[in-house]
Amino acid sequence: MSNNVSLEAALNNVSLLDMIVVPDDQPDIEARVLPLLYRANFDTNFEDRSAFVTGIAKYSEEATRHAQFNDMLAEGLQHAANLYTWRCCSRAVPMAKSNDQPNRTEINEMVVNVLKPEVSKLNSFMRFTLHAIQRFCEEVRRLCHSEKRKDFVSEAYLLTLGRFINMFAVLDELKNMKASIKNDFSTFRRASQFLQTMSDTQAIHDMQNLSMFLATQNKIKDDLKLQMKTIEGYEELLSDVVNICAHMYEQQLYISPNEKHMFVKVIAFSLFLMDGDAANVAKLDQKKRLSIQRLDKIFKSLEVVPLYGDMQIQPFAFVRRSSHYEANKWPLSDKESEKCHVNIVEKVHTIRSDHESYVTQFAKINNEVAISDRVGSDREHRELTSLALSGIQLLCQWSCAVVETISWKLLHPTNPKDNRECPDTAEEYERATRYNYTPAEKTALIQIIAMIKGLQSMLGKMEPEMSNATRKCVYVELQAFIQHTVNEPLQKAIKNKKDLLASILQSVKDSICDVGYELNRMTDTKSKSKKSGSKVDSANSSSSDIRIPRRTAAPGSTQLYMARTQLESLISEKLCGGKKILRKELDSKTIEKISVFLRKSAHWPALFKFSDSMTEAGELSQLWFREFYLEMTMGQRIQFPIEMSMPWILTDYILSCDEHSLIESALYQLDLYNDAAQYSLFSFNKQFLYDEVEAEVNLCFDQFVYKLSEMVFTNYKQLASSMLLDKRFKSELSRVGTIIRTPTASRFESLLQQRHVQLLGRSVDLNRVVSQRINMSLLKALDAAIWKFESEPLSSIIELDMLIEANRLCHSLLKEVLHSLAPFDDIFQEANHAVNSPHGRITLHVFWELNYDFVPNFVYNGSTHRFVRAKQFFRKTPAREKPPQVGQVYYWGSKSLMAAFMNISNGYNSCIGTQHLKAITRLLHYQGIAVILDELLKMTHRLLEEKIKRHVRNVFNMMPKVLKLPRADYGSTALLQYYCHHLDAVGKYPELKSEFCQDLRELGNMIIFCQQLEVALGQEETHDLFLAAAFIGNVPQPPSRNAQEQMKQLAKLEEKYARIHLSEVIAKNTNDEGQAIIAKEAELMTKERLCCGLNVFENFLLRIKQILANDEIWTGGYPTNGVFWIDECVEWYRVYSALQFFLCQPTRDDNEVYAE
Amino acid sequence: MNASEAVQRQLKDDWDNREFEQVLADNIKSIANFLSTFELSCRSKLATLNDKINLLERKVEFLEARVTKGDTLS
Repeated sequence: MSNNVSLEAALNNVSLLDMIVVPDDQPDIEARVLPLLYRANFDTNFEDRSAFVTGIAKYSEEATRHAQFNDMLAEGLQHAANLYTWRCCSRAVPMAKSNDQPNRTEINEMVVNVLKPEVSKLNSFMRFTLHAIQRFCEEVRRLCHSEKRKDFVSEAYLLTLGRFINMFAVLDELKNMKASIKNDFSTFRRASQFLQTMSDTQAIHDMQNLSMFLATQNKIKDDLKLQMKTIEGYEELLSDVVNICAHMYEQQLYISPNEKHMFVKVIAFSLFLMDGDAANVAKLDQKKRLSIQRLDKIFKSLEVVPLYGDMQIQPFAFVRRSSHYEANKWPLSDKESEKCHVNIVEKVHTIRSDHESYVTQFAKINNEVAISDRVGSDREHRELTSLALSGIQLLCQWSCAVVETISWKLLHPTNPKDNRECPDTAEEYERATRYNYTPAEKTALIQIIAMIKGLQSMLGKMEPEMSNATRKCVYVELQAFIQHTVNEPLQKAIKNKKDLLASILQSVKDSICDVGYELNRMTDTKSKSKKSGSKVDSANSSSSDIRIPRRTAAPGSTQLYMARTQLESLISEKLCGGKKILRKELDSKTIEKISVFLRKSAHWPALFKFSDSMTEAGELSQLWFREFYLEMTMGQRIQFPIEMSMPWILTDYILSCDEHSLIESALYQLDLYNDAAQYSLFSFNKQFLYDEVEAEVNLCFDQFVYKLSEMVFTNYKQLASSMLLDKRFKSELSRVGTIIRTPTASRFESLLQQRHVQLLGRSVDLNRVVSQRINMSLLKALDAAIWKFESEPLSSIIELDMLIEANRLCHSLLKEVLHSLAPFDDIFQEANHAVNSPHGRITLHVFWELNYDFVPNFVYNGSTHRFVRAKQFFRKTPAREKPPQVGQVYYWGSKSLMAAFMNISNGYNSCIGTQHLKAITRLLHYQGIAVILDELLKMTHRLLEEKIKRHVRNVFNMMPKVLKLPRADYGSTALLQYYCHHLDAVGKYPELKSEFCQDLRELGNMIIFCQQLEVALGQEETHDLFLAAAFIGNVPQPPSRNAQEQMKQLAKLEEKYARIHLSEVIAKNTNDEGQAIIAKEAELMTKERLCCGLNVFENFLLRIKQILANDEIWTGGYPTNGVFWIDECVEWYRVYSALQFFLCQPTRDDNEVYAE
Repeated sequence: MNASEAVQRQLKDDWDNREFEQVLADNIKSIANFLSTFELSCRSKLATLNDKINLLERKVEFLEARVTKGDTLS
């Protein structure tokens, strides 16, 4: 890399960056994202004033003072920040309890050490204030000097004086409000007096002064007033300040809420200051220097303004406080209204329509800029400039609406009477924020904040183009102004020998004109020889602006100031330069042009730092700051909980209200924390405040993600459940009158697509954090489903199956929007505890049910192929698990859906049939079924060996050894008698009808269960194979006339479906042979099912047979005659036949035949 | 006339210098803006990649757990 890169190459490189495509396709629903902010500040604060040698000396002097005042204002602002963010230290430091506490010296030393830097801040605050008052009064005195009074004072200068007045008011109110400052100082004072470190009188004197300064309420205001009173004619100057502020306020010549509120505060405080020994305000009103009526309207339109942070004042209170206040002169402002002057709920409509029309215009121009490569025309630049300006003004208007509503609400807290939800115990701040807003107001605030932040982000994206266009436009206007407006009167003035006018006009021209002297000379000569018909001339006539070069440079801040101030002095009604009124010497057209220029250029400085102005206009950090209310709790609270914090109240409202359209503005509300953090760090310079913001954000964001995930999960769960709910069932229900609500369309998608939410300099992948939570919720839902099954009989397996299906559908819907969701089967296995143990919970519980409930207590109905619960119980089922205690959302999503599905599954509760068995096969798979069958076999074995065998042996013992077949011609009655007689002992076998029969029932249940399970499995597998057929090359035979044709058609079909024959496709498309083999094997696995080759039930029977064949008690042993037993009672069928005589007889008291 | 010319020349120089500064500032700004959008774009892409890796990791963990059958991996 070479060390020398030419400027051109460097610029080229930068422009190449535009070519690189950096896609970031996620919906833009976040406030302006600035991972990296670059600011170039060209404001010199009049540092370069001496360069304007051609300017009138008076204004360059004024610029010097201006610079000084700006510095002082900045310092004052820092003091205000210090005062506002002051936290009580003295409450935290330990006190020496008594005079003889041994370590009191150390304690006091420590106290002094800790508080010293803070007290030194207070000292410098006091010094600054006193100095500022003095400096301000000097200035007023200078301007009010009888010689000077008629002189012109520039608008900018008056405004700076106004800012000063505002600063005094703010500092004084802050000093009054903060009791903790005084407490801290007195703690420090006590400790240092104890230590007697202050030996010299100067230090003691200083301390005394500071203590007085802090302790006296309204000290700054009163001092200022006292000093001002001594100046003759000060009220006239102040009335100028008031008038200019009123003018700015009425014409909306402000571009940030701060500025707007400052004007009103300045008016109010100035009126307070004016009111000296006499009723000056009324006098000035009579003299028409002021108009009370006009001011009255202003105060009415803005009753409450934020003073600083969360401190509010009623500006009119200053006026009311003045000693010569006359209530009847202020008919509007005198009575306080009940309602906020901003009706936010109504206002949001106009704001929205403004927003819409602005965005339309913006989009149009944005598109024009985007599609054209050429350099824009002057017209386009003008359009963009005015678009930029109106954008900032809109932002300012909307922020004002929000800030003023919040301020008014803070000053008018609710009470339990007005708001039923507000408990009696609610604390002050809670009543001012938490319970102070109606849902409609919250919605309006949320929408306005979203529009502010959204517009800010939009403007931010266009910022480079806009500032560029602004600079070009301003340059052209400036030069055109010189060419068309200044030149002509200048020539005239020179001609008529009006020296002063000419010198000022020349100075204006010299300070902003940018024509090289060559060009200048050319135009000069040209004007003399107009008829020469040169090239320049023809160009001149065709286009008026052609002589003006184009540049992308903005005038310097001092340069613009000089030009503007001098022009202002020209058209002012007052004396200029102490001699005469120049206005009279100009023609009305020029005056008009100049005033238009002045009006236009007033906003230029703000446009030059477009990015900063935009940030300031939409800055809402105020919503978070609560130092004033913290101070009011007197140390009860170190910080307020998030429920009382405005940003969270709004965010929480979005998450808990029913309006789904608000959800997209959620991230805009969180941006309020960004504002607060930014302000804490860069305006307050307070790390601790930032830490508190950060702590709250940590908490809130967790809550946000938690609530959001819950909402998302509920919504999708309800959606899945409603999708699964049978349509006819639903329509039947609605005919009956029950309506099951399908979840409304929601807009989570755009929120969930956010992969980089910027929060306090961190970048959060919202999709991922929500995914993690949803993973947990799904796991919990599946766990709840299985747990519920564990707490219920086997028949509820249908419900389990349905629940799992609902969760599966929910998962697949969620998978579309959440990208790091685990595969459903994995989650299911985890919930089923089947990951690292061979048998899942479902398998275990199925077996448990079979063992304890199904086998002993059910009977089989051969005609319906169902098992039903028997009437007689011989075995008691042990208690099952308790059902889980989880919310509706984990089952079916909502109460009504839950009821619907419960009704459906209730239909399956009273029996065990094919559906149940199919569900079992679906849920258990081969592995589970194998386990179940294996266990059933073991049970059978145990049953036969331990129980039935004993009974059979007993019965054999009771039967006669040999029982011959009687002759048939005895008649049936006699035959029955014969058998009953011989088998009498068997009939009286005590365990016959209880234990023995029960054991036989169990054996039978197990065998038939096995058979039915096989049937269900077969059906499921056939279904499976049917669905898979197309993908495994299994083509059904097409109907045809002969075999040959069929072969042909088959070949055709096979060719047709070859594209989706998976294993072949994989073999074709992969280079990895292993994969092809795996695919083949998988296909084989799919094809060769249990039902095709093997028969479970057959095997089951064979196993039982093996068990039976091992023991002679069943087979009867080898017959003595070598062929078979004839009359001897040794074989099983003899026992069973004997039992039939007694089992088939109806019981005497119970004649009914079992229904099933 | 000479003095006036000198002033004009200085003014022109001033404008030139300001324009030069502005061009530099604008270009640095566009670098900064590019870096911002680049970061955001990278974050999106990394997030997508992250998802995939996460899923794979989960899957591996899951399979490991299945294979060990109750014994913890040493």
